[in-house]
Amino acid sequence: MVVPLISIILLAPLASFAIFALLGLAKRNFPRQDYLSTFAMLVALGCSLLLIQEVTSEPTPLTVEWLSLGSVNFSMGFYLDSVTVIMLIVVTLVSSLVHIFSIGYMHGDPRYSRFFAFLSLFSFSMLFLVVSDNLLGIYIGWELVGLCSYLLIGFWFEKDTAANACKKAFLTTRVGDVGMFIGMMMLFAEFRTLSLYGDTGIFEAVATLESGQIAWLSIAGILIFCGAVGKSAQVPLHTWLPDAMEGPTPVSALIHAATMVAAGVYLVARMFPILTPTSSLVIAYVGGITALVAATIAIVRFDIKRVLAYSTISQLGYMMLAIGAGSYVAGLFHLTTHAFFKALLFLGSGSVIHAFHAMHAHHDDAEHTEDAAHEHADNSLVHEHGSEIPPDQDMRNMGGLRRKMPLTFITMLIATLSISGVPFVFSGFWSKDKILGGVLGRAMEWNSVHHYILFAMALIAAGITAFYMFRLIFMTFFGEPRNQEMHDMAHESPWVMVVPLIVLAVLSFPVVNTLWFNKDYIEPPPQHHIPAPQHAYVSPDSKIGDANFGFSLFGVSTAQAAEEDAGPDTAQADDAYHIHHRAHNIAMVLSICVAGLGILLSWLFYHRRRFSAEGVATTFRPVYNLFWNKYYFDEFYDGVLVALTVWKSRLFAKFDLSFIDGIVNGVGKITRDIFAAFIGFFDNRVVDGFVNRVAEVTWAAGGRIRKIQTGAIQTYLFVVLGGIVLIILIFRLF
Amino acid sequence: MLLSLMIFVPLLGMIVVLLLPRESEELIKRATLAFTLVPLVLAVVLFVSYDRSSAGTQYFVNVPWIDAFNINYHIGIDGLSVTLLLLTALLGPICVLASWRNIEKGLKAYMALFLLLETGMLGFFAALDLFLFFVFFELTLLPMYFLIGVWGGPRREYAAIKFFLYTLFGSVLMLVAMIAVYLNSNVINGVAEGVRTFDIPTLITLAGTTGHALADSTFQMWVFLGFFIGFAVKVPIFPFHTWLPDAHVEAPTAISVILAGVLLKMGTYGIVRINMAMFPEGLAIFTNGVGFWGNSLALLGFINIVYGSFCALAQTDFKKLVAYSSIGHMGFVILGLAAGNSAGINGAILQMFNHGVISAMLFLLVGVLYDRAHHREINGFGGIATKMPVYTGITTLAFMASLGLPGLSGFVGEALSLLGAFQEFELITILSTIGIVVGAAYFLWTLQRVFLGQLNPKYEDLPEINKREILTLVPLGILTIVLGIWPNFALDMFSESVTNLVNVLDAI
Repeated sequence: MVVPLISIILLAPLASFAIFALLGLAKRNFPRQDYLSTFAMLVALGCSLLLIQEVTSEPTPLTVEWLSLGSVNFSMGFYLDSVTVIMLIVVTLVSSLVHIFSIGYMHGDPRYSRFFAFLSLFSFSMLFLVVSDNLLGIYIGWELVGLCSYLLIGFWFEKDTAANACKKAFLTTRVGDVGMFIGMMMLFAEFRTLSLYGDTGIFEAVATLESGQIAWLSIAGILIFCGAVGKSAQVPLHTWLPDAMEGPTPVSALIHAATMVAAGVYLVARMFPILTPTSSLVIAYVGGITALVAATIAIVRFDIKRVLAYSTISQLGYMMLAIGAGSYVAGLFHLTTHAFFKALLFLGSGSVIHAFHAMHAHHDDAEHTEDAAHEHADNSLVHEHGSEIPPDQDMRNMGGLRRKMPLTFITMLIATLSISGVPFVFSGFWSKDKILGGVLGRAMEWNSVHHYILFAMALIAAGITAFYMFRLIFMTFFGEPRNQEMHDMAHESPWVMVVPLIVLAVLSFPVVNTLWFNKDYIEPPPQHHIPAPQHAYVSPDSKIGDANFGFSLFGVSTAQAAEEDAGPDTAQADDAYHIHHRAHNIAMVLSICVAGLGILLSWLFYHRRRFSAEGVATTFRPVYNLFWNKYYFDEFYDGVLVALTVWKSRLFAKFDLSFIDGIVNGVGKITRDIFAAFIGFFDNRVVDGFVNRVAEVTWAAGGRIRKIQTGAIQTYLFVVLGGIVLIILIFRLF
Repeated sequence: MLLSLMIFVPLLGMIVVLLLPRESEELIKRATLAFTLVPLVLAVVLFVSYDRSSAGTQYFVNVPWIDAFNINYHIGIDGLSVTLLLLTALLGPICVLASWRNIEKGLKAYMALFLLLETGMLGFFAALDLFLFFVFFELTLLPMYFLIGVWGGPRREYAAIKFFLYTLFGSVLMLVAMIAVYLNSNVINGVAEGVRTFDIPTLITLAGTTGHALADSTFQMWVFLGFFIGFAVKVPIFPFHTWLPDAHVEAPTAISVILAGVLLKMGTYGIVRINMAMFPEGLAIFTNGVGFWGNSLALLGFINIVYGSFCALAQTDFKKLVAYSSIGHMGFVILGLAAGNSAGINGAILQMFNHGVISAMLFLLVGVLYDRAHHREINGFGGIATKMPVYTGITTLAFMASLGLPGLSGFVGEALSLLGAFQEFELITILSTIGIVVGAAYFLWTLQRVFLGQLNPKYEDLPEINKREILTLVPLGILTIVLGIWPNFALDMFSESVTNLVNVLDAI
């Protein structure tokens, strides 16, 4: 059943896109591309749910030979384990909901059909990435989602900001992808395969390496991680994601929050067995720094979508940190909970934007003509970074919307409570707590300063997250309307948009999520090059997952549940287990404290107005400027890197034109002159009519060719033909 | 027989076209189309019926031609040549269709020259006698010269002469090397005995025989260089590349397609067929990884990739940009060949075919736009995606294929070349990946400047791509997708031959 099901999952969305593309060649449209795409996605969702039953304890890759070169072969295939199935369900579920939401949101867009076709293509690519059993297949899906992201960010390509943003997204992620490709080349050079699983796969080969041989493996791991840095918008390649908000909001929800950007985390999780202590630490630190940097930038944004974008970056950093610190299950758990609540937040913001849209469309006409008047072609690779916020996304125009849009408000509030880590009731709390507990557990177990630092970073980021998320809620839904005109226009969105919000809100409660964290459903793959305790204890990570699950549902204490389930085998494992258990308790208390503090401060600042945000900004001007200017990453890239590249390309082109071609033309001229002199020499010194004759003929022929008319060419052709025949005949006579 | 028929049908077509009255233009076009469709059908037949399990030469014909010099009319195909024959034969009718409306003068001569060109190209890829090989090589030169020089743009004369002299310079060196090989072909242990030969398979065997003059590594090095420079001009390899942008910019659309699609491949095909197969000792000197010269071929590939890409980034003429991108992409071929291992050579050959298909698409697409706007200035457009959605879609496909997006054909060849090269030249390969990023940069930037943004008011009435133009692009687009998804379709044809070649190279 597995192969047919996966095939349907992949082919349904692909077929939907193919229909659009083929009809497009004939300049036609399928009448209801929206229903077609949505239907395809629902079919894929159904099949994904059926796959839950099919996961076996010993997953085997299902492969076909894709490329055979004699000595080296590349195979393509599927690998289905519990993580794959969870990812399939997350992707198809969020994608289905986004499809449905878009039926309302994109209504009336001139390229309505195209939008759904692109969503289909994206879903196919993402699903292909998820089920691939080898690095090459993952890379193919990886780049294809990048293409779809490009197409969808630039969906409203008439806007220069959108046209810039899609290019930036593609190029920035490509920088990371090249790193990933180099990592793949390293693995290929060593193991002569890009398959991951099975007896001949990379993971098996890695297991046999001696500990002295893993220095290069660390480098390969970090290089592969570069791909994830690009795709999951980790520092320093994160700058494309906020700009990607130029795409339609459903796209932001699906691609730039829930699925594609999480693919980087998925990749690192997939590559878990090849990680070494060094590469793990690098991953964890990049994740931690990203979580902090993005969170601090989010505090000062006013564009509702940008706040969410930076929040996404920050949360992705969290997941990376988790996996880098060895908390495999926690990282993936957070990936799924985040997918739901962040998609909900984006769709909710879409609902708000939609509410303001009638107003905006009004303004738009006036701007439009103005835009058309000025020079539109952007002639440089460097652009201004629009601090221009569209009025319908500016939180300073919002306020008091909770009465106007009650359903949007309640669902978004649920998501906010979840992401902020409000305890016990919301899924976000559990996944975040698992990460914090996992990192602290490792710190205590190994007595590692690095992991204590990482824990501190994660904890601070958690507090900031609670702060800026509630800032968003307070500014948008509470208080008095700041822009009365726009407020009057606002309205609750139609049902087709609200229903997906409600479904996602339900998914933000742990009841649903824990279904997947069934006992023994997820087992972290072994890491062969990370020191001992990891092996010795019976993966407390997953057990504690179960414990939390039990806790949340039945009110059983963590300790009890854990002890019942775990049954540690050895004394050492027992130790490690207890350390982790204690770590989780400490982490839980701390995380509740920072979340509460964040929410409290936000409430004081933005609801009760006890403190003035402007006042604080003035007091800490340099810090505020740093956050406001996004740590100057964009300025550095555009001003230095892009400018250098363009300068270099112009230099090369100039070199080509003046120097190389100059030499060529020079040689040509000299040759001609020498020949002329040479002929002149003969002319003067050697009284030989023959040479003169030759020269005359040559020059005459030259003149002829220059003036040649098309009529003459036919003659020429006959001459050539005759010549060939003549040559053949002459040679035959020899 | 089938093979000979395929090669000479276009020549027959040329005679027929020349005999047609000049005024009946429709008839001339249809006749030309018919005479280019025949080789296509035959090429498909050959491609399908070629026995993939055996690496040897098939469909060979070997009859004496010029007895005095032991020159034979020896043709035959292996997996590599049949793949390139298919490419050539496919581009034939496509180019005729692309010339349907935009050849304003001398249509008859144009079509006749085009048919002559096709015979030259087909013959070149099938020739197994060095002399014949050379004759066909030269046979492509003359029609190309006139096609650029007469039907080209404003600077056509300069471009045509530059192309002609460059290639002639290369072929003179090739001729010298060829004669050297011929003269030494009967020298064993310093003693000349028996007849000399131009026969390529025989020469390959002799060059591998210990004690034979052809097997001497110093000798091999020099003839290697002679042939190599001849082919390098065609590829073109830096610094012999400057004829290419000029030729492309001036040539009419269809001729650009042939130039990029087939003529460049003649260079790399020659390198595989002659340089690598016949002179492995000579090759080793430039690819054994020892010192500067041991890395030189890989370095040339690297320079082509990076230099070509950066130059492309700076261009503002759409066609010139595509021309420079060709230089960059041919660099991957050189890099893969320099690797000399299975992944590298297979990747290089695949890249040859794929680049032929993709660059043909790119030049056709530039032509479509040029026919409408009568200029190619990238900054002079803007926002035309609103007016030409289908055209934009196809262009996006071609750009993505060219910048090596996985799932499309461009990726497979590029990736295999790099994978192969990395095993031999780590640093050079890593540096070459810069080209991947820059490649994406110039294509996306072009996409943005031409297609995205607000519509340039000048192009309010731009007509969408028409059916004939779509027809020229669709087969290439299908190939791009099919070969991206199922590369074995082409790889199967030559992977056996490559394995043999790799074994020879490994033995050095």
